[in-house]
Amino acid sequence: MSPILAISGLSKQFGGVTALAGVDLTIEEGEILGVVGPNGSGKTTLFNVVTGVHKPSGGTVLFRRRDITGLAPHAISRTGIGYTFQQAMAFAGLGVLENVQIASEHARATGGANPWPTPQALLDFVGLSALAGEKAGVLPFGSLRLLGLALALATRPSLLLLDEPAAGLNDRETTALVGLVRQLPGHGITVCVIDHDMKLMQMLCRRLAVLDFGSKIADGPTEAVLADPKVLDVYLGGEL
Amino acid sequence: MNDSRRAGLKPLRSLLPVLVILALIAAVPLFSPSNRFLSLAISAGINVIALYGLSVLFGQTGILSMGHAALVGIGAYAAAILARDFGVGFWLALPAAAIASAVFAMIVGIPSLRVGGHHFVIMTFAFGQLLAIVLTNGGDYTGAATGLDVTDHVTLFGADMTDLTRYYLMVVAFVTVAAVASWAIIHSSYGRTLRAIRENEKLAASLGINVGRHKIGAFVVSGVFAGISGVLLAYFLGHISPSQFSSFPSIYLALMVMIGGARLIEGPLAGGILVAFLPEVLNLDPVQSRIVYGVCLIAVIMLLPDGLIGGIVRALRGLFSGKPKSERDAAEARQ
Repeated sequence: MSPILAISGLSKQFGGVTALAGVDLTIEEGEILGVVGPNGSGKTTLFNVVTGVHKPSGGTVLFRRRDITGLAPHAISRTGIGYTFQQAMAFAGLGVLENVQIASEHARATGGANPWPTPQALLDFVGLSALAGEKAGVLPFGSLRLLGLALALATRPSLLLLDEPAAGLNDRETTALVGLVRQLPGHGITVCVIDHDMKLMQMLCRRLAVLDFGSKIADGPTEAVLADPKVLDVYLGGEL
Repeated sequence: MNDSRRAGLKPLRSLLPVLVILALIAAVPLFSPSNRFLSLAISAGINVIALYGLSVLFGQTGILSMGHAALVGIGAYAAAILARDFGVGFWLALPAAAIASAVFAMIVGIPSLRVGGHHFVIMTFAFGQLLAIVLTNGGDYTGAATGLDVTDHVTLFGADMTDLTRYYLMVVAFVTVAAVASWAIIHSSYGRTLRAIRENEKLAASLGINVGRHKIGAFVVSGVFAGISGVLLAYFLGHISPSQFSSFPSIYLALMVMIGGARLIEGPLAGGILVAFLPEVLNLDPVQSRIVYGVCLIAVIMLLPDGLIGGIVRALRGLFSGKPKSERDAAEARQ
């Protein structure tokens, strides 16, 4: 089976700084892939280049064999790639339900069955129905993260990219999030999680790719990658 | 079930107060007001139409234009030139001027794709000034600094509408259409899309919203309102000149929409009426009234960020919800 996303030779320079130095990475249909690496390793740049926030300096991104390299963010979203940000999670000044409503109204038309046919159903899924009438800006941080996930899901993606989805969450909230993300492949949504939190990655992903200084240094089953001396070295003697 | 039905009625409930107020305003001629009062009210109404367009741009999309009077001017000059050169009357001038203003609005809007915030506000300000300069130097075609006369009368079903009371009622009808159109935009999926852009462009784009196209679109929509307002103004005054559409009238429009509140449907109406009648009620000369406007603007920005109407609504909500004030403030602060 061909991969849902195929990144090859992707590079990005900011002036003289190389943030990505020719990364090859494939995401297989139906998996939950983790992309890890220490701060400054190029994780977020990879995310930004794939989602169209930055134009790549070189390389290609194929989504289901279609070249989407350098498309605008809204166009990337329309191809069926959903994504969530670390910071911008929801429209703070608008109601929780209105947030999801907006995202649903811009969902692309897909042939498949919709697991969450209404905004309300999505709020039920992420467990925010009780807060539907509130303004997003008054939500606690953990709920805001879940709302961000609901917004991305409302666009009906077949691939979902999550940039540090558990940042700022406590253990209970992280467990809840992991529970939700694990269900996504069952609904036909492939997931790629970008984070440096190894505990989260071990809970979520069977496969890991490791970035360091803009290059991929390891890629394989989670257990094998975590035992890789190169990876242990990057994480300072393997305090995982 | 019950909830969703109530949610369906809620938008209609928000339109009702405006319609009631407009009905009362339409009844004013029954009390035989003075001609001066009617003239002021007509001017205010013509402004309110442009303000409804400005509120789509500023209130919903979050883009402030300090050159909006220029778009009104495009409409007014389009009407005057169409009447002079092609014998086109009021009713045909309306759609033509609306299109002309919309096209210019689109051109003003294009830099907003690259320039944001204060920088863009300054660009719109410059556009207003630029238009005044172009009109002043347009020779006979634009009538130079003297401007143009519009001598045609407006007729509706054979009736001459030039009479002040009739023109007043016609303007009230146009204001009503503008208010309903603005209300329809606010409560449509289009309005929600614009608000998403106002709240966070990056997040909006991630959901598949073409931010650039919708920003330009908001300009075009506001241009249509401005064009219609311009035609009504040209036919009301009978004479138009460049200074009416330069930067300072633009600042007044921005001031009105800020004082009234740009996000709620009552805002433009309140702002337009207040700014028109304040000097009259307080008996201020033009210099004094400018000072009062300035003080009002500062007060509104500092104390009532959602404008007067937004402030009143919030105060009423606070009164009835019974939450302690500190808790409410904390909730507001987090937004």
